[in-house]
Parts: sequence; structure tokens; C-alpha cells
Amino acid sequence: MDIIIIGLLLGGTYALMAMGLQLQYGVARIMNLANGEMLVAGAFGTFWFYSATKFSPLISLAVIVPLAFAANWAIYRVLITPLVRRAKSQGQLEVDSILATFGLSFIFVGGLLALFGGDYLSYSYLARPIFILGQPYGLNRVTAFIGALALCAGLYIWLHKTRAGLALRAVAVSPSAAGLVSINVPRASALAFALGGAVTAAGGSLLSIFLTFDASLGVVFTLKALVIVIMGGVSDIRGAIVAAFILGLAETIVASLVDPGLTLAAAYVLFIVILLIKPEGLFGRRSS
Amino acid sequence: MLECKNIAVFYGRHRAVEDVSMQIAPGEIVVMLGSNGAGKSTFLRAIAGQKAKASGTVVMDGADISHRPSHEIVEAGIALVPEDRGIFADMTVQENLILGAHPRRARALEADNMARVLGLFPRLAERPKQLVRTMSGGERQMVALGRAMMSAPSILMLDEPSLGLSPLLTSELFRSLVKIKDTGVGIFLVEQNAKQSLAIADRGYLLDNGRIVGADSAAALSRDEKVRHAYLGAG
Repeated sequence: MDIIIIGLLLGGTYALMAMGLQLQYGVARIMNLANGEMLVAGAFGTFWFYSATKFSPLISLAVIVPLAFAANWAIYRVLITPLVRRAKSQGQLEVDSILATFGLSFIFVGGLLALFGGDYLSYSYLARPIFILGQPYGLNRVTAFIGALALCAGLYIWLHKTRAGLALRAVAVSPSAAGLVSINVPRASALAFALGGAVTAAGGSLLSIFLTFDASLGVVFTLKALVIVIMGGVSDIRGAIVAAFILGLAETIVASLVDPGLTLAAAYVLFIVILLIKPEGLFGRRSS
Repeated sequence: MLECKNIAVFYGRHRAVEDVSMQIAPGEIVVMLGSNGAGKSTFLRAIAGQKAKASGTVVMDGADISHRPSHEIVEAGIALVPEDRGIFADMTVQENLILGAHPRRARALEADNMARVLGLFPRLAERPKQLVRTMSGGERQMVALGRAMMSAPSILMLDEPSLGLSPLLTSELFRSLVKIKDTGVGIFLVEQNAKQSLAIADRGYLLDNGRIVGADSAAALSRDEKVRHAYLGAG
């Protein structure tokens, strides 16, 4: 039972970070391999904020989310827009953006190393137990989970109940049809990329509450987000949420019952199995 | 009033459309007839701002809108239903119609236009939550027309709307086009189906090999021997 609850708690933060990548890949069509570094940058930001001010890490979100939004907007405008302009096909844009953001991830790692050094960092916040069904769990984990869930729900409602959210989903479904209803597709893509980066950084902030991290951790999270998004189906945000919980559960089960060293391996085995059985992802549809 | 002057589109060195001029006023149906590959779709996409490498001028109500991106063309009052319908297949009927009203010019009129579209296509009113992907070809065409009408166009352009529809559905569709015209919208119809489209049109243009080879009233065109021979299947 406690394994399942820990798995679900982990899945919540995974869902948030996967939603970030989903926005960037699903709407802006940019496979952002620097996604994990943005997450780690969020974690470092919160670490720095908490060490300096002693305010709750949750309050740091109010600073980090707008900053990450602005930074990702700038990245899209400066680095990605030229690629979009010159790409002759969707495939070419995907290859170009993967290479560009892969390079970007090294710049991020270097920047973080220069700013914060190469040490493992963590801080202690709400490090006391809370009892769920008679079992103790870290209050910090539960707090991060609730924070992630609240952000996920907010994002989901925004995407489904507002005109701006509807427009973003429309671009994800069909960029050409979106142009026909007067949606400014380049602007919507920049918005989705920036929003995705902000959501990812928020995920990093929340993870930092209970996780020890260092500058090189980004790639692990990029891969996890990638697995979740592809497993869930690229076009549907619900798929990513379900896949995030599956991954959280699978990792926790393998870590507690088999060997903690095998968590990443377990994630990929799961990934491969799902792709073999349902290659379009859990909620994806075969393109006709 | 939409006026296109000397529109030319090239694919590399291949000429798809050359020196095409036409105009269309609100409240009339104008059909452009031409065989497959005559350049009809290319011409429509050039007006709608989906082909960047087009030359010539497009003037809408006196404003030059040549070379504008597609989202600004819609704001100028020109809606396009492309050959692939241009609908959001993975979204519901209601979402498609609401998206149609995304242009700023259409937002204040959203409720009125919604009532008008649902009045025109009662079947859409019956299933607002259905995913468009799961609908029949005729119903999808209704969604596409409804979506275009939601953007409050002065000029509605349709690329082969009868494609893939049965003759019965086609005449149903064309009857709705007449109703739309009667509300003061100008309709520019690009078709291979000459017989049915000339029956509802006021005027027509003939496009062959990227050039206009004839222009006349619809009645005169349907009597014309060459047109009858080339497009109406009369021997």
C-alpha cells in the first residue's frame, strides 16, 4: 500500500513536468531536449530563493514561473523561430530542434555549474512525517504532490475552458486549420513553448522540496518526460497524466521490491512494452 | 468586395497560376470551373495567405491584403474552407464552431452567428459534443461550413465542397450555400462539378492550365458549347 502511495505522490510531479514537454511538443512541435535542464534550473532557483529568504518554496513559484516563462519565450524567439522559418517539413524541424535543444541543454548545464557549482544540493523543508492510512510519509512529498496536482488541474481547466486554451489546443490538432480561424500560429507556438517551460520549471521547484539534485540531473528528467509524453500519446494531455502516474508507480515498485538501481531500466522496459502493444500511445490515435 | 489582380503562383520554375484576375461582391455566388490540376486550389490558397510565393494584388474592401499571413486575411473578412475541410477532427462540433469565432471581428457576433449556423444545420445542434472525426463526410462538410460562417466572413471561399459527397448531399449542401448567400455573403466556389454549381451561381470563370480562359454569367456558361463539352459531359 505504501508503495502505491509513494508511487502516486511521485507521479503527480511527473505529470506536471510531462505537461510542460507536452505543451512544447504537442502545440509548438518542438521536441525540447533541454526540458530537464529547465526543470533543474527551477529546482536551483527554489533552492536559492529558500536559502536566501527562508520563505516557503511554494512562494518561490511566484518568481520562478514568470522568469521561466520569459526565458523560454526568449529561447523560442531567438533560437527556435529561425529553425521554424527555414524548415521545409515537419520532419526537418523536428531534427533541427532536437539538435538545437540538445546543444542548449549543455549550455544550461554549464551555466548552472558556473552559478551553483557541481555539488549535490538539498534543503530541509517540512521534513516531518504525515500519516496516511496509518503509514508515515514525508510531508514535503505530500506538499509537492498537492502543489503539482493544483497546477495540473489549473492548466487543464485553462486549456479546456478558456478561449486562449482552446486556441492552443487547436494549434496542436491542426496548425493549418488554426490559421484559417485567424489564430496567429507562430505566436501561439511561442506562447505554448514559454508556458511549457514555465510549467516544467514549476515542476522542478516542487521536486526540489524533497529531492536532492545537482546540475547534471536534467537529462534524467528529460528522458522521463519524453517517455511519459510518448507513452501517453503525443496529442492528448490526459494520456500524459495517466502515463505519469504509471511511471511513478512502476519506478517505486521496482525501487522498493527489486533494486533501486533499476528504476530507469524499469521505466524503459515499460516504455518499450507500451510502444510494442500500442505504438500511438495510451490515448493516441493512429493517424489515418 | 474582393478583387484579385494578376495573381501568379510558381512552384520552383513550374507555373501553377498565371495572371489570374477576378472579383466577387457580397451577395453573389461566383464559381470557378476547371479540371484537376488547372490551378484552382493553388489560386484559393494564394488569396487565403497560405502560399507565400504569390505575386499580384489582393484587395478587400479597398484595403490591400496581398502577402498577409492567413490569420490576417480572416480578419479582413475572407473565410476559406479548403479541400481537406480545414476542421479540427480531434475536437467536438461545439469546439470547432467556437474556434470559428476566434477572429476579433467575429467575437461580438458569436452568439448570433452560432444561432444562425445551428439554424442552417440542425444536425449540428443535435450533437454539440460529438468528435468531428467520428462524423460522416456530409456532416463534416457542415462543420466546415459552420466553422467558416462563425468567423463572420464577407466572402466565403470553398474548395471543391462537393468532393466525396453523394449527389443528394451535394444538392443539400448547395441549397445551404444559397441560403448563406441570401444573408449577404459573397461565395466563391471552386468546383469540378459544373452542372450543380452553375445552377446556383450568378457568374463563372473558366480556368485552364493556370489561366482564365473564359468569364460570363452562369446562365450563359451553361449554354456555351465549349463549356458543355468540357465540363458538363455533353457530347
